[in-house]
Amino acid sequence: MSGFKNRLARLYASSRWSQLAITATTILMTFIVVSALFILIGRDPLKAMYSFFQGSGLGLKPSYTKQGGILSDFFSFLGILAPMLLASLGVVIGLKGGLFNIGVSGQMLFSGFMATILVGYADFSPAVSILLILIVGLVCGGLIGAFIGWLKYRFNIHEVVSSIMINYIVSYATGYFIKTKYVDPIIRSSRAVKPNARLAISNVKLAGQTIEIPIGIVIALLAAFLIKFFFDRMVPGFEIKMVGHNRECAEYAGVRINRVMIRSLMFSGMLAGLAGVTYYLGYYRTMTPKDLASLGFDSIAVALLGNLNALGCIFSSFLITIFQKGAVYMGSATGVVREIASVITGILLLFSSLGDFIKAKAESYSQQMTFERESREEAER
Amino acid sequence: MEKKPIVELKNISKQFPGVLANDNISLSIQEGEVFAILGENGAGKSTLMNILFGLYRPDEGEIMIRGEKVELVSPRDASALGIGMVHQHFKLVQNYTIAQNIILGKEPKKRLLFMNFVDTKKAEQEIADISRQYGLEVDPRQVISDINVSIRQRVEILKMLYRKADILILDEPTALLTPQEIDHLIRTIRELKNHGKTVILITHKLREIKSVADRCAVLRRGRLVDIFDVASTDTKEMATKMVGREVDFSIDKSEMIPGEVLLSVEHMSVETHDKAMVVKDVNFEVRGGEIFAIAGVSGNGQVELVSALYGLMPMKEGKITFNGVDITHLSIRERTEQGLSYIPEDRQETGMIGDMALFENLAIKSYYHAPFSKHGLLQFDAFEKHADELIESYDIRSGSGGLTLMRSMSGGNQQKAIVAREITLGSRLLIFVQPTRGLDVAAIDHIHRQILAEREKGHAILLVSLELDEIMQLADTIAVIYGGEILHVEKAEHLTQEEVGRYMMGVQE
Repeated sequence: MSGFKNRLARLYASSRWSQLAITATTILMTFIVVSALFILIGRDPLKAMYSFFQGSGLGLKPSYTKQGGILSDFFSFLGILAPMLLASLGVVIGLKGGLFNIGVSGQMLFSGFMATILVGYADFSPAVSILLILIVGLVCGGLIGAFIGWLKYRFNIHEVVSSIMINYIVSYATGYFIKTKYVDPIIRSSRAVKPNARLAISNVKLAGQTIEIPIGIVIALLAAFLIKFFFDRMVPGFEIKMVGHNRECAEYAGVRINRVMIRSLMFSGMLAGLAGVTYYLGYYRTMTPKDLASLGFDSIAVALLGNLNALGCIFSSFLITIFQKGAVYMGSATGVVREIASVITGILLLFSSLGDFIKAKAESYSQQMTFERESREEAER
Repeated sequence: MEKKPIVELKNISKQFPGVLANDNISLSIQEGEVFAILGENGAGKSTLMNILFGLYRPDEGEIMIRGEKVELVSPRDASALGIGMVHQHFKLVQNYTIAQNIILGKEPKKRLLFMNFVDTKKAEQEIADISRQYGLEVDPRQVISDINVSIRQRVEILKMLYRKADILILDEPTALLTPQEIDHLIRTIRELKNHGKTVILITHKLREIKSVADRCAVLRRGRLVDIFDVASTDTKEMATKMVGREVDFSIDKSEMIPGEVLLSVEHMSVETHDKAMVVKDVNFEVRGGEIFAIAGVSGNGQVELVSALYGLMPMKEGKITFNGVDITHLSIRERTEQGLSYIPEDRQETGMIGDMALFENLAIKSYYHAPFSKHGLLQFDAFEKHADELIESYDIRSGSGGLTLMRSMSGGNQQKAIVAREITLGSRLLIFVQPTRGLDVAAIDHIHRQILAEREKGHAILLVSLELDEIMQLADTIAVIYGGEILHVEKAEHLTQEEVGRYMMGVQE
């Protein structure tokens, strides 16, 4: 028993395997707790779990509509995965610099709104539209991010406070304009953007199914690798990490910490902006007034679960999106309310926040073991 | 009159990783006396008192209070035995009033509708009574964040008295006070003694001991060196006992070859955030090949002076010329590029990034230029090569070489790394702030040799240290700072340790 415990501790403490082992443990524990939850409300946990995958196009449903199929489900899954990944990357950039951008939703809403009214109703060719939409997304998100950073630098306003307030300002301001100027009276949302101004290629026929290919997922994956490279190899990325780890030391080392903090929040906002345009002009095509996307908040969980690592976010956004996206089908298949998806996300986050604790425990345990072994050997000698 | 011992410590030992903080210490304190514990930084004074207050548990030894053996597991136990302690850093709730802070955890209650409420009126009344009795006037309704340091200290003392403590431990109570406030504190201590309280005073300031203490114990490097009657010992003797002679590392120090003036500071004044003048109109010059040491008791403005010099703190007035260039308005990075190195006082918070690897930490001041980066891309080969060289030539020991997490290294090796980094910048002026604080003898020796080697190269050294030993060993010129002013500057060979000590206490000829 102690041998097993010992080996387990060493696994969690080892520099190479620790991250993988802890993530696996997190997921395993979540599945156990969630299964218990399903059993408690009298459902078959395996069936319920599988229905999340079926709803995300990762497992065959028993029946499909005429034009639907596993492929159309999967591409739709990718369509919502893209903004989730982009938003979580935005959170990562902020947190790497020690700054908590909790205003991703607001930045998404603002850039989505601007892209909708500036490009969405215009008659550019699809290629030009896509380019313009991305630029609007980057600029609008980046502007709000930089503004939050500037408020922090100039007036010492905490970024959490200012970004939450900006969330509401954006939500009410865009809500007003949507209702008064861009409303579609039937659906009570903004008028749908024109088909040539969408970040998706619609009506593609593949294996007899009608699918919609999201352009956002390509951008999101590209962004993940770019950010990985930015933090691993580039000078500004190194500066953001320095400021994030120890602001005082960064200042001492000659880094202009204010500039770096503004920059870090600007980049964070740019990613949120991209998430916004892929969400509102990719996955959807309309905007509901005064509605902050909950995806913006879920992305914080994704970033933390991905251990603030850009590539880790690909994995964690995939996982959490399965629950979010698959919840609708799970609801109809098992009769459990779909809000259970948020519960699962919460449990996942709870366990993932235990990661550092497990690691620290394991480290001190294996250190103690080494110490005891050494002193035993000492005594024998 | 024969007095009975109220506190007896028997054979107390306490080991911290790498340091024997208390080594078999036995002492006995009489009821109603003011007992001072004297020693340099790191001598083990605070550790010993934290043991008596139940914050640490001794590895060996026992504690007797009023003749009975006790086990102190937490400060709560100590409190129950009538032991109170004012820590060097006050432990007050910033946004509570004075009264709320004093009664916190021991609130007078009144019952109303079957519920307990804090009886604020009664609390304020009791506090007013105690303040009057001991001459410690406070306004119980003021909020802590609105009052100054000396009133806060008064609140801490009242907190102990409110809890009916009769053994009062004061840890470095004068470190942050002005001379007038110190006088007031000393009167308070006398008043406490008149009321039959036992006061234990931890300090390294001789003047205070002389003016208020009955007996004094001297600790040096964790050991009890001597206990003496204050009345029959003069300050000179005390200083000798405190500093000790046996730890005299003789280092080969060649004759100083004075170079040109590298640094000149004119009329420098520095203010803190709350507008307190901590450096007042300071002027000095440092030459190449010279070790210019600033001696002074902690908190006399020396750290603020060098912080402003390096650009970490804004300067209120003055001009800094370095190597012929006016650097008064340059940024930290520009100053570094001009040839300024800085080894900060707080190595873990300021000098290094604990969560980054050693090889990264060795390049945090040079990562942005060649060979460490090219076209905005970091060149990790250069990082690692640089780290390997420094590890080799400065004998930095770490678990897995350059990849070791900085946080996991020992204090001595962290400091070696910081010193190595700063020296390899090739700067012509190196500012060392408390470079050997908390280090073991071997690491101290290593750092001292590095400092002397830099001097040999003709570089200028500005050394700030609280250790008189260190200053006497290394300095070519000694400037004594007191109350933010440079009181005295002289060639080191014309000064004795006792003379410097006297200037440090603010004594002028």
